[in-house]
Amino acid sequence: MLRQEINELLTQTGPGAPMGELFRQYWLPALLAEELPSNDSEPVRVKLLSERLIAVRDSEGRYGLMDEFCAHRGVSLWFGRNEAGGIRCPYHGWKYDVTGQCLEVPSEGKNSTFCANVKLRSYPLVKIGDILWTYMGDPEKTPPLPEYEWVRVPEDQTFTSKRLQESNWLQALEGGIDSSHVSWLHSGALDSDPLFKGAKANKYNLGDLKPFFEVTDSDGGLFIGARRNAEEGQYYWRITPWVMPSFTMVPPRGDHPVHGHFWIPIDDENCWVFTFDYLPVRPLTAVERQAMIDGHGVHSENIPGTYLPVRNKGNDYLMDRDAQRRGITYSGVTGIALQDSSLQESMGPIVDRSKERLVPTDSGIIKARAKLRKAALALRDEGIVPPGVDPAHHRVRSAAVVLPAEESFIDSLSEEMTVRPGVAQASV
Amino acid sequence: MSASSLLSSSARATTAAESRFRIDYPLAPARAVRVVALDPAAEAMVRLVAELPWDSARFLVAAGTQPAGEGDADGDESDFSVRKLDGSATSLALELFDVDVAVMVATTDSAAAAAATIGAACSKRAIMTAGIVIGNGQTQATVSVLRPFARVLMVSADESDLIALLTAVRA
Repeated sequence: MLRQEINELLTQTGPGAPMGELFRQYWLPALLAEELPSNDSEPVRVKLLSERLIAVRDSEGRYGLMDEFCAHRGVSLWFGRNEAGGIRCPYHGWKYDVTGQCLEVPSEGKNSTFCANVKLRSYPLVKIGDILWTYMGDPEKTPPLPEYEWVRVPEDQTFTSKRLQESNWLQALEGGIDSSHVSWLHSGALDSDPLFKGAKANKYNLGDLKPFFEVTDSDGGLFIGARRNAEEGQYYWRITPWVMPSFTMVPPRGDHPVHGHFWIPIDDENCWVFTFDYLPVRPLTAVERQAMIDGHGVHSENIPGTYLPVRNKGNDYLMDRDAQRRGITYSGVTGIALQDSSLQESMGPIVDRSKERLVPTDSGIIKARAKLRKAALALRDEGIVPPGVDPAHHRVRSAAVVLPAEESFIDSLSEEMTVRPGVAQASV
Repeated sequence: MSASSLLSSSARATTAAESRFRIDYPLAPARAVRVVALDPAAEAMVRLVAELPWDSARFLVAAGTQPAGEGDADGDESDFSVRKLDGSATSLALELFDVDVAVMVATTDSAAAAAATIGAACSKRAIMTAGIVIGNGQTQATVSVLRPFARVLMVSADESDLIALLTAVRA
């Protein structure tokens, strides 16, 4: 349960809101690099943290993210012509470079300096891995670039997709750190999904539906350990890292790629889910990559040419009651990603947490909310830089291991929960 | 696939406007919660938290932290006593009667014996048990003892974690 004012604090990410200011301390995924595939690509409308923006890649390959609307009459620059080193508004020809600086106002006289004083608000846009990252905070406090392992491995070892989720970012994130639902909601997928099936540890998930949890702080957020029974005298541990504000990794299965999510607020009622799979030490196989493109694993099958899931609330997620009855899917919705988002969207765009009935096993969620609140208030009141800004905090891994019953994952897995170049993920 | 003919009978009913039509009523009564401090430093913290307004939470101290009362590391609760924050003695069995959630709070390994006894008593009664281990001191023995019993362990926690947990479960 959260009081309404705390729920609002955590879910509102627009300019000036405490949580909005918190998000503006970080480099965040803004687009997939494929959305601006070449120089002078078509501009892309991007709404982030309740700001309407436009992303461009100019004739020299420079990326930019700026106010969507022309300073002159407020026309959307999405209609603009992206050419010859800038984007030109089609209404009266005003032209801007990737920093939002106005380059030309055709109606002005030849020696006019008017345009030098016209600049759209803009943010940096930097390609790292498959992602175009932006930082929407104070330019003088720009942090070092992100160092998440999934965007730092060679290109052939990583894949990222993106989908729209029609809910507030926080209820999406909370699904990402709630390991206990896997044995229920996703039970049908463990034996059938090409990116899940075959792992030895799947039997532990399916054999123990009441995991125990251990939650501990990390430098950038939390490690959440879910413990299930394994062989006699041993426990199967699945370790989920959360890095503030909204990066989570899913514990791996067997030799399958490691996956995770970055949950990015579009506005207070919608978010982008950037979903990745990668391997620290080998390229993805063609079969693995194709499975991801096809929407298997934690990816989604999207309507071609969009990032909107084929299964969405407009069509009741193509609910299949027969598959639900037969146990092929537990909820009747196909695909792990949409199994999650269908339920999270069903809560409403911003769930009323004053009505919920949490239990102690929700401690990962409870602690994450407390840390977010504490960090947002510390930033607002004291200017304290929040956890997760320092790139060192990004160098975490999820893990899935079997340990003797007397061992703590916190003590035994410190190396496995840290990025180690050239060393494979810890997985069973 | 089923066809939905009305907005309110399809997943589209998840709009903010439609959410206003959710019926409003108390979903469940408050849960009975006991918070037990297992060592002196934990007691000091629990006393501070107890001053906040709670619905049903009751706060106790394991008598094993007192020279007069020894806990049994084998989990025998019969001679194990706890006391209320006003200092009055009470029995573990009485305090665990009809309880939904027990939260044990520890700061050191000296709490291990009490943790074993209370954990076993909660397990016998199918009480949902949580362990909050405060700080980064020597707590491995206490964590090991709590692990088989505590459905949730929050390690390297602080006072705010206890408050957040109790608030979240409507204690």
